[in-house]
Amino acid sequence: MLVLLPQAIVDGILLGGIYLTVSMGFSLAYGVLHVIDFAVGDWIMLGAFAGLTFTQWFHLDPLLSLPVIFVIFAAIGWMLQPSLQHVLSGSRGRPVLMALVFTFGLALAFRGSALTVFGIFTHSLNTVLSQGSWHFSRGSFFLTIPVIRLAGLVYALAVMVGLTYLLKKTDFGLAIRAVAQNKEAAGLMGVNIKKTNAAVYGLYVGISAMTGVFIGAIVSLNAGMGPDLALFAFFVVVLAGMGYLAGVPWASFLLGLVQSFFLIYLNPSYVLLALFTILYVILLISPTGLFRRGV
Amino acid sequence: MRRLPAWVWILLVIAAVGTVPLLIRDAFFLRLFTEALMWIGLAITWDLMCGYTGYLNFGHGVFFGVGAYTAALLMIKGGWSFAPAAALGGLTAGLVALVIGWPTLRLRGAYFAIGTWAMNRAVLQLALVLDITGGADGLRLPPFLDPPFFAYVMLSVVGGTFLVLWLLLEQAPFGLKLKAIREDESGSLAIGLNPALLKLQAFVLSAVPVGIIGGVYAYWITFIDPLSTLGDLVTDQAVVMAIFGGLGTLIGPVIGAIIFFAFKTYFWAYLSDYQVLYIIILGLAIAATVFFLPDGFWGTVSRRREGRRALRKGLAFEKAKQT
Amino acid sequence: MRRKNWWAAGLCILALGAMLVPATGMAADEFKIGVITSLSGDLATGGSVTKRGYDLWAKAVNAQGGIEISGKKYSVRLIYGDDQSQPAQAASAAERLAAQEKVDAVLGPYASGTTLSAAPVLEKYKIPMITGSAESPLIWKQKFRYTFGTIPPVNFTGSAVIKVLAALPNGPKTAVIYGSNDTFSKATAEAFKATAEQVGIKVLEFNILPPKQDMTPLMSKAKVLNPDLVGFGGHDEELVNLVKVLTQINFTPKALLMHYGVTEPAFIQALGKNANQVLGASVWTNSIQTKGALGWPTAKAYYDVAAAEYPKDPPDYTQAASSAAGLVFQAALSQLATAPPLDEAARTKLVDILEKLDLQTFYGRVKFATEGDYYHSNAGLTPLMIQITDGKEMVAAPADSAQTKLVYPMTPWDKR
Repeated sequence: MLVLLPQAIVDGILLGGIYLTVSMGFSLAYGVLHVIDFAVGDWIMLGAFAGLTFTQWFHLDPLLSLPVIFVIFAAIGWMLQPSLQHVLSGSRGRPVLMALVFTFGLALAFRGSALTVFGIFTHSLNTVLSQGSWHFSRGSFFLTIPVIRLAGLVYALAVMVGLTYLLKKTDFGLAIRAVAQNKEAAGLMGVNIKKTNAAVYGLYVGISAMTGVFIGAIVSLNAGMGPDLALFAFFVVVLAGMGYLAGVPWASFLLGLVQSFFLIYLNPSYVLLALFTILYVILLISPTGLFRRGV
Repeated sequence: MRRLPAWVWILLVIAAVGTVPLLIRDAFFLRLFTEALMWIGLAITWDLMCGYTGYLNFGHGVFFGVGAYTAALLMIKGGWSFAPAAALGGLTAGLVALVIGWPTLRLRGAYFAIGTWAMNRAVLQLALVLDITGGADGLRLPPFLDPPFFAYVMLSVVGGTFLVLWLLLEQAPFGLKLKAIREDESGSLAIGLNPALLKLQAFVLSAVPVGIIGGVYAYWITFIDPLSTLGDLVTDQAVVMAIFGGLGTLIGPVIGAIIFFAFKTYFWAYLSDYQVLYIIILGLAIAATVFFLPDGFWGTVSRRREGRRALRKGLAFEKAKQT
Repeated sequence: MRRKNWWAAGLCILALGAMLVPATGMAADEFKIGVITSLSGDLATGGSVTKRGYDLWAKAVNAQGGIEISGKKYSVRLIYGDDQSQPAQAASAAERLAAQEKVDAVLGPYASGTTLSAAPVLEKYKIPMITGSAESPLIWKQKFRYTFGTIPPVNFTGSAVIKVLAALPNGPKTAVIYGSNDTFSKATAEAFKATAEQVGIKVLEFNILPPKQDMTPLMSKAKVLNPDLVGFGGHDEELVNLVKVLTQINFTPKALLMHYGVTEPAFIQALGKNANQVLGASVWTNSIQTKGALGWPTAKAYYDVAAAEYPKDPPDYTQAASSAAGLVFQAALSQLATAPPLDEAARTKLVDILEKLDLQTFYGRVKFATEGDYYHSNAGLTPLMIQITDGKEMVAAPADSAQTKLVYPMTPWDKR
């Protein structure tokens, strides 16, 4: 089945692109706020449904909703973050657990709300890019690239580039990195920690919501899709090293490629067993991720 | 009131609770009674790792599933009778804890949480793909439907677990040693403790009762499958119950389990048309509890009482000084 | 210290005592029928289908005054127990309905796992249960005396549709078959595979996948293998995803057969024109020529009533089977001619009546097998091959019920 090799690689990378969209905001949130947001999948789900509603109301392509969705959800995240901060701080201790359970509660509330408003069925977002695919063939080798998946990858890379630029080249990014490194010192240097935290969380939620639109277009959307997406976000971020944003693309592609190769060349029944075992073993050997740059 | 040792009181309470199946014979009530006890057991053992030792075990349910499947397989394929099968379920869970605990406990905080959760998911997948577990079809046990029997079995297991944990955590130094690890693990080395060994002991101790409970569950429900025994639901609910009640105590998770279970069951039995609403309310309740009552219901109450007691003592002392 | 323990025990007993709302009333002028199904949790989609079916029946039978016993009419009251898609909750619901509500009969769950844990409880109380869903052959292998089902097991339905395809001139010679790793989908895929091999279709790839697995690499591989038939057993989300993957990589097999969920309007809505020509299996549609001795006179009559009551959710075969389950109880209870509440002896007699029943309904013939692998399930139905045509579910085989000519091979995605 060597003829499938290029396709396996491409499928893996595109799958990785999906994982990247899910994990990049999450990694940023963890790196700066030290929060494992259990609700990451449900933010994505809400974004997907927002895209669906947008399409139903305005009869426009869902991809056009992206800026609107980003702004709305970033604002929601900005407003929500102080509550999260309250949970993380103070004399209560165990911030990791408190944040985890708090966001778990939020995730449940989001899921229930989506179930109430949108019901139990699975929907699909249809865009102009949904059906196209590019074909290449040379001799017996061939390649098919679905356009919508490629669009997802492009989106993910664009956001990564944007985030990197933000973090490395702007003052605001400097403030974020300072807070991530050492909150007290950053405060002493004049960084407004509250605003920075709120902004980062807003950024994360906005990105996740936009991701929802892509997931709805590439795959499908339903009120219960949150937990499975959160699973992959955790996976990727652990592999990359928690809080190490630069590692996320590599970890995403690795995950996509491993899955793709496993599905094509090995026994598909065991793919998740293999993945979780690999994750567990990697955590044991190198908890700070593949690049040992985790927080 | 005479000062009876705490363990006597605990036994008295267990005995008092034990009269309930004699007085109320309704089969449905006994089922709820048994399930409530089951959750108490799951919540207090989880709290042992989190509240006392400071390690977030997000794979707590794996012990439950391992115990359930071990007991089920022994009874179905090996023809074992119930008690030894459930006991071995506990033992196997303890063994699993020993084997995975040793490498996994080297992880801290969020890493330990995700590591245990990944391990749980891996075992779930294993149960789904192996033939011997029946895969997704699950296993059916020989039915033995006797609500009072299971009520007493669950009470004995959970009551016994509570007693043992009380003795080890609140009477013996073990509890203090674990709390030392929770507060400052590297510091505990300095005072001569062996955190690696202590953590492992706590981990295994949290696993064995859960394995037994899993075995009881299997025989009680007569049907088990990977998702219901190894899924996230077991761990998630135990976590929420312990937090509702209050971490770092044994009473806290008991209260939390009862409140949560009563709330959930009430909704399920009498408001089932609004089940979706239940999910929203539950989510908001969890978020609100973490936000406003980080010590849980019991924790907040007991802290207040301690505070008032300390205040009274302080005032009395001041007064005595003046005279 | 000690007071805390007392409080704990007291709270425990109080809270649980609150659960003990005694069964109200000795209303002996109605039949109490319990319903155990998935109103919440992962299987809520399917559970709601069964609920609609059961509700429709109760409404219809009560509209004519109820079930007539010795000149007096007794209305039917449905008492719901949500199994929350969990076996433990199903057993608990069964216990509550039996012990507290003291129901006369039970209409059963959507899924097989929940049926398997509720059934032993009902065996203990000797309460007959008929499920309008639960297609897994596992249930019938357990030979529960008090459990029946109006839907035949999926290996019965699944094999029939493969045979239809094999019988076509220039029919499929090769196949790639996958199934999701849950009881029902696995059984479906295995049925497809077993029958395909039986009729000489070469199965190039077969596997059981983790639920909701992304199938792009697998379908890329399938594109290379180029099978005539792609078969898949799974649930609604997975079916939509599979079709999307196939359109995205632009691989159109000659036939795409999937079960269960093709008949759901959500499937067609999500996929638009790409849903057309997809094949599915069913045991009932609104077009088949049935005559009901009891209840709705024809399939179409039922469809019209159901669509009017639930305009957003037109009935599928599971809903029809659920309503039929109610009709079966109706017929059996009339024959039993005993007024409610039914005691254990009466309920045991009811089981005997159910075993001997041979009833024609809008849903088709209901006759429960009394031995063999399909014990107590309804193997008397004719499986139907469905093809989505112009956004509608249409029967393509067998010929006497066909509404449309089976289109084989499918039109490629990019030519639609």
